[in-house]
Amino acid sequence: MTTDLQTDPGPRAPGSPAALEVRGLVKHYPGVKALDGVDLVVRQHEVLGLAGENGAGKSTLLKALVGLVRPDAGEIWVRGEKVRLRSIMDAADHGIGMVFQEQSLVPNLTAAENIVLGSEGPGVRRGVYRWRTMRALAQEQLDKIGSHIDPLARTDTLSFADRQMVEIAKVLRIEERTSHPPVIILDEPTSVLESKEIDTLFTQVRRLREFASVVFVSHRLDEVLDVCDRVAVLRGGQSVGEVPAEGAAPAELHRMMIGSTGADDHYHDSAAERSDEPRRPRLEVRGLSGKTFRDVDLDVHAGEIVGIVGVHGSGREDVCRALFGAEPTTAGEVVLDGKKLELSGTRAACAAGVGYVPAERKTEGMVGPMSVADNMTLTKQQARCSGPVVRPRKQASLVDGWIERLSIRTPHRGTAIQRLSGGNQQKVVLARWLVAGDVRLLLLDHPTRGLDIGARSEVYRLMRELANSGVATVLLADSLEEAIGMSDRIIVMSDGRATKEVAAPAGGKPTPLDLVKEMV
Amino acid sequence: MSTPVLAQPAPDAPVVHRPTVGQRLTSFMPVIALVVLLAALTIADPGFLTLSSLTAAVRTAAPLIVLAAGATVVVLCGGIDLSIAALCSLATVFFALWLPDLGGATTLAIIAATGAIGALQGVVHVLLRIPSFIVTLGGMSIFAAIALVISDAGPIPLSDRDSTKWLTLYVAGVLPMAFVVALVLVAVVSLVLKLTPLESWVRATGYSESAARLGGAPVDLVKIGAFTLSGACAGLAAVMLVSRNFSGSPTMADNLLLPAVAAIVVGGTAITGGHGSLWRSLAGALVVTLLRVGLPIVGVPSAYEQILYGAIIVAAVALTLDRSKVLIIK
Repeated sequence: MTTDLQTDPGPRAPGSPAALEVRGLVKHYPGVKALDGVDLVVRQHEVLGLAGENGAGKSTLLKALVGLVRPDAGEIWVRGEKVRLRSIMDAADHGIGMVFQEQSLVPNLTAAENIVLGSEGPGVRRGVYRWRTMRALAQEQLDKIGSHIDPLARTDTLSFADRQMVEIAKVLRIEERTSHPPVIILDEPTSVLESKEIDTLFTQVRRLREFASVVFVSHRLDEVLDVCDRVAVLRGGQSVGEVPAEGAAPAELHRMMIGSTGADDHYHDSAAERSDEPRRPRLEVRGLSGKTFRDVDLDVHAGEIVGIVGVHGSGREDVCRALFGAEPTTAGEVVLDGKKLELSGTRAACAAGVGYVPAERKTEGMVGPMSVADNMTLTKQQARCSGPVVRPRKQASLVDGWIERLSIRTPHRGTAIQRLSGGNQQKVVLARWLVAGDVRLLLLDHPTRGLDIGARSEVYRLMRELANSGVATVLLADSLEEAIGMSDRIIVMSDGRATKEVAAPAGGKPTPLDLVKEMV
Repeated sequence: MSTPVLAQPAPDAPVVHRPTVGQRLTSFMPVIALVVLLAALTIADPGFLTLSSLTAAVRTAAPLIVLAAGATVVVLCGGIDLSIAALCSLATVFFALWLPDLGGATTLAIIAATGAIGALQGVVHVLLRIPSFIVTLGGMSIFAAIALVISDAGPIPLSDRDSTKWLTLYVAGVLPMAFVVALVLVAVVSLVLKLTPLESWVRATGYSESAARLGGAPVDLVKIGAFTLSGACAGLAAVMLVSRNFSGSPTMADNLLLPAVAAIVVGGTAITGGHGSLWRSLAGALVVTLLRVGLPIVGVPSAYEQILYGAIIVAAVALTLDRSKVLIIK
């Protein structure tokens, strides 16, 4: 590394040099090779899609591009200049900025404060905030992206989509640090957006292309193809190829991501036809009311997957939490297998055989620094104990069994769960309810959020297998397609009430449009 | 479902996970810090490393170890107990007052009473959802005031010294009984945590309370239990102090609060919860005691003692805290 600043001789970059180029990037973690010689070129004024399964190395690559991870080997070139990025500020100085998947705004500051935070410039004079200047600075950023957000609104009062716009506005401030067009990285920007918001975001991304280069990461391949000019695919920490987005099919990308043609039976339709003999539902909910929902009735039979769909604010998440005893109720009765279910707390629910997979995996679903094994046995302690005493060997064989059965990719059962990829984390969280073999009702709140196709497919398969073994499942799906594909029956909720029930047996599925009509 | 669809073999051969040398070293850091300190003191004054001074040091350390051990469990749960020292002082007063009536049963009565007071703080913290910092800060003030009121703001001599005599004995002629009791306490609590689901629950609560709750861990009970143990430990520490001073006093343990907190963090337990152990606090308490006892012995002028003490505490935490386990340093 004697020549730190040298101009690219340029056989690879005829004409203007690439906005960003990565050559042979390598990064090892203990037991995992996250990056194994990645090459990537981002041209100026293009939107480059980055696709790959969970664990393919996308996150590590992005972190290396903004200086959060130092690669073990390999080079990063910015506009024909080799750079070493040691921090986010370093990256910003070279015109590289990132909009993080988990938003990085401070919730109790105003949008304006967040936008200028860290590089206040003229917004602060002699250590004193100059609100008017700051607001003007923020307004200027918001104008760049054509947003109408009030810069003086507190960030936590904004919707997720608006906060994302604030982040983009904030990231664009790196323009002031460099005279060149910046490179903006968007990490899974669509994972929690509604479809209308996604359209707005895409308009934004196309605007960005006018004065910047964009790296767009998403696990939804149709989106990637929709908004990008070119798509690069990572697999197992290596670049496996790239395709122009024009004319490419999601299936083709998917094949590159997983290295073979995936099965078409994505949702693993329940093949066995259920008999229609009249029997008592496993779960009977009558007149359940709480802060955000009223008078909800719900029946779920053993072996049935019932999807609840509804727009944001329909109250479906709270119904789910209430059934698990994690959200107070004001009225109503819940009966599980003929026995009244006390909604007094999560512990009572667990003991009654109710399982819950929260939407916020990282903060609610798992205890990050704890091991895979301890996370898996957190709820059903009796599965690893004899009487009150923990049996390490019993736990080891139990956990190893599930690791193999669910093909959870982890170096060891003792590895902290936060080191696993999202899909593998979710499998551990699901396994938590299976180790004791006594779960009767599973409440799944966005169980596939943030997972790539491969991991999704495995979660679907697991859900189907559980249903076939007699577990009753309530599913809050990540998308309407998922709800339709997985559910046997779909309940539509709107404004806190269950307004419609739609049958969705294999072979007689409703279309998304049928459901949307009922939702609004 | 004739074939279990999920039974595909894992694509990668699992890599055996072994802690690196660095990780192993980090987990032994509190002990290493202790040995280094002992060596440094011995070099500064070769006369320091004698049986009698070591015996005196561990005897002084005993109440601190007990206080720190109890509070460690609260810290592991993600809380803090600031009331331990004041509660301990109050307990010494109770001890002197109750001894004439209860006789030999006073020790158990004190531990039960302080345990109940700790439990009460835990219940207030959990049910009223008040941060443990505030609840125990209030408790600290209340206990100190009660101790002053019922003792008439002065020491109360013990009516008889026999009931605490056992704590002043020596095991095998060299190990002070109080230190042995402290060791047994640390060992028993650590073992109970390790051998039962409790450790899992305590750590989960400390790392991420909402995840623990949604995972069905009895978070509230665990927290109340931690405060109960912390209170009971304050009671036991009080009995140790009384056995040495032959009196109860409303301010007897007040200067032990910060050393106890220092012992916990010097041991490498994360103040943010989840990561740490009682063994670490034991080592931490010994480091803190050695500093307090040792610096004057090796001839550090008393004016400089506090400077050195503060600097060494910070340096020790820099060594012992395993930052890979603690994501946010507050």
